[in-house]
Amino acid sequence: MRWIFPTVLLGLLLAFPPIAAAMGLEFYQGLLTKIMIFALAASSLNLILGYGGMVSFGHAAYFGLGAYTVAILMREGVTSGWVIWAVAVGLSALLALLIGAISLRTRGIYFIMITLAFAQMIYYLVVSFKQYGGEDGLRARRPEFGLFELNDTTLYYLTLGVLLAALYLLYRLVHSRFGRVLQAIRENEARALALGYPVFHFQLVAFVLAGALAGLAGVLMAHYTQYASPNLLAWQQSGHLMMMVILGGVGQFWGGVLGALVLSLVEEILQDLTIHWQLGVGLILLFIVLFAPKGLAGLMRRGS
Amino acid sequence: MSLLELLGLSKQFGGLAAVNNCNLRIEAGEIHALIGPNGAGKTTLINLIAGTLPPSRGQLRFQGENITHLPAHQRVHRGLARTFQITNLFKNYTVRTNLELAVQARAGSSFRFWQPVAQEKHLTEAALAVAEQVGLAGRFERVVGQLSHGEQRQLEVGLALASRPKLLLLDEPMAGLGAEESERMVALIAQLAQHHTILLVEHDMGAVFRLARRISVLVYGQVIASGSPAEIRANPEVHKAYLGDEGGAE
Repeated sequence: MRWIFPTVLLGLLLAFPPIAAAMGLEFYQGLLTKIMIFALAASSLNLILGYGGMVSFGHAAYFGLGAYTVAILMREGVTSGWVIWAVAVGLSALLALLIGAISLRTRGIYFIMITLAFAQMIYYLVVSFKQYGGEDGLRARRPEFGLFELNDTTLYYLTLGVLLAALYLLYRLVHSRFGRVLQAIRENEARALALGYPVFHFQLVAFVLAGALAGLAGVLMAHYTQYASPNLLAWQQSGHLMMMVILGGVGQFWGGVLGALVLSLVEEILQDLTIHWQLGVGLILLFIVLFAPKGLAGLMRRGS
Repeated sequence: MSLLELLGLSKQFGGLAAVNNCNLRIEAGEIHALIGPNGAGKTTLINLIAGTLPPSRGQLRFQGENITHLPAHQRVHRGLARTFQITNLFKNYTVRTNLELAVQARAGSSFRFWQPVAQEKHLTEAALAVAEQVGLAGRFERVVGQLSHGEQRQLEVGLALASRPKLLLLDEPMAGLGAEESERMVALIAQLAQHHTILLVEHDMGAVFRLARRISVLVYGQVIASGSPAEIRANPEVHKAYLGDEGGAE
């Protein structure tokens, strides 16, 4: 029984592009692609924020770095999609390793501020490169993948595949030995240390993995918009991802996906209705924080 | 060779010497009690031994090896495990998960990212064995937050025990226990002492004099006396500094 809902959902997602094309709803195919990209980025943040208890306020750094890697490599004549993906993910992981190795020596509010500070440094660094567009951003042409041509529809399927693979990986991870220790550290760090766990190493590995996945999400975002914008690196973007996780459910497996879905839809709807849409988003977040601390995923779990 | 040796160990907090040039030997197989008035530096000393705090001066030797600069988590793998004075558990987890985590820390690498940990039966079995040892087998699936204070103290000991330590550091295991619960804890410690060396920090003098083979007295961060319970009881300095204050314990 419990397989019926996911199977139907997956079937609908797979069948959506031809249906949308037949009905002239291509806009919604694009919206779904964007939502899936945010779902990947938010899920990666949920790994460290939710499962690891590390409140990183600099997740946009990896997201933006992924997008800029696509734009810059394409501009410099590297056109192989696979090479670009590998470089982008590798660079994001490396950046996360550097930021994590320093930030994870701090705790609480200091950790939040130092991750934010690093992300802002990356933002200003990138914006200062005039040859890469500066504050205007940089066009990111779609690379070649050899096996298929990257257009809106193949990108949709590619994103769906990457998201599913990443979610499977995260699912295995949080239920593994590693995942259990990561959550135990969140619950009680001093005790985890007293049990003999090298707390720092566990946190750093999770931090790097989350950075790499966020970088991959940034790559997909660049493929989607065909443009690397400094906004992807800005602190508002970090906040946006954080809102998705809080809305969807901190430390809940589907938290990142649900948060990305609902926040994106709410933004779309409210933007059509009023220019004060951010007020509406704020009220919804306030409600969630006050009445459903485990987010939408927690509400659904309680309901079922 | 002593199991644990403290050689001139000191810890400064600003101008305050919480532990001051402390020398102590723990022999394998003994229950060694550490007593002293409030603020004498007992918990600081435990933190120095466990590696939670770095010493300002001096040396720690465990099984003849210098462990002064070894990180806390590596000391656990060498065979040093501690309990906390203030109960320090995974409160939202079950007794089972608490103990499984403790077992997992010593049973193979935890940098395993793929296999579901819930399927590792041997962790559960080892956790259950520890639960039985500390008298919590009947509470195995309970969430820790729902346990009585006494049961939580038992689990506190269980978590340290699960790492199969050579030396157990018990920081006031009787803290906050009622008479009956204290009795149970004394029995538990006596039973553990058959297979473990124990450093016991405790305020309950009745328990200390019943359990300990050797007692060291810490006052203002210094060991002022070390000896058998009879020697400590007869020591006039100890009386003046400590036992006298409590109206001659026992």
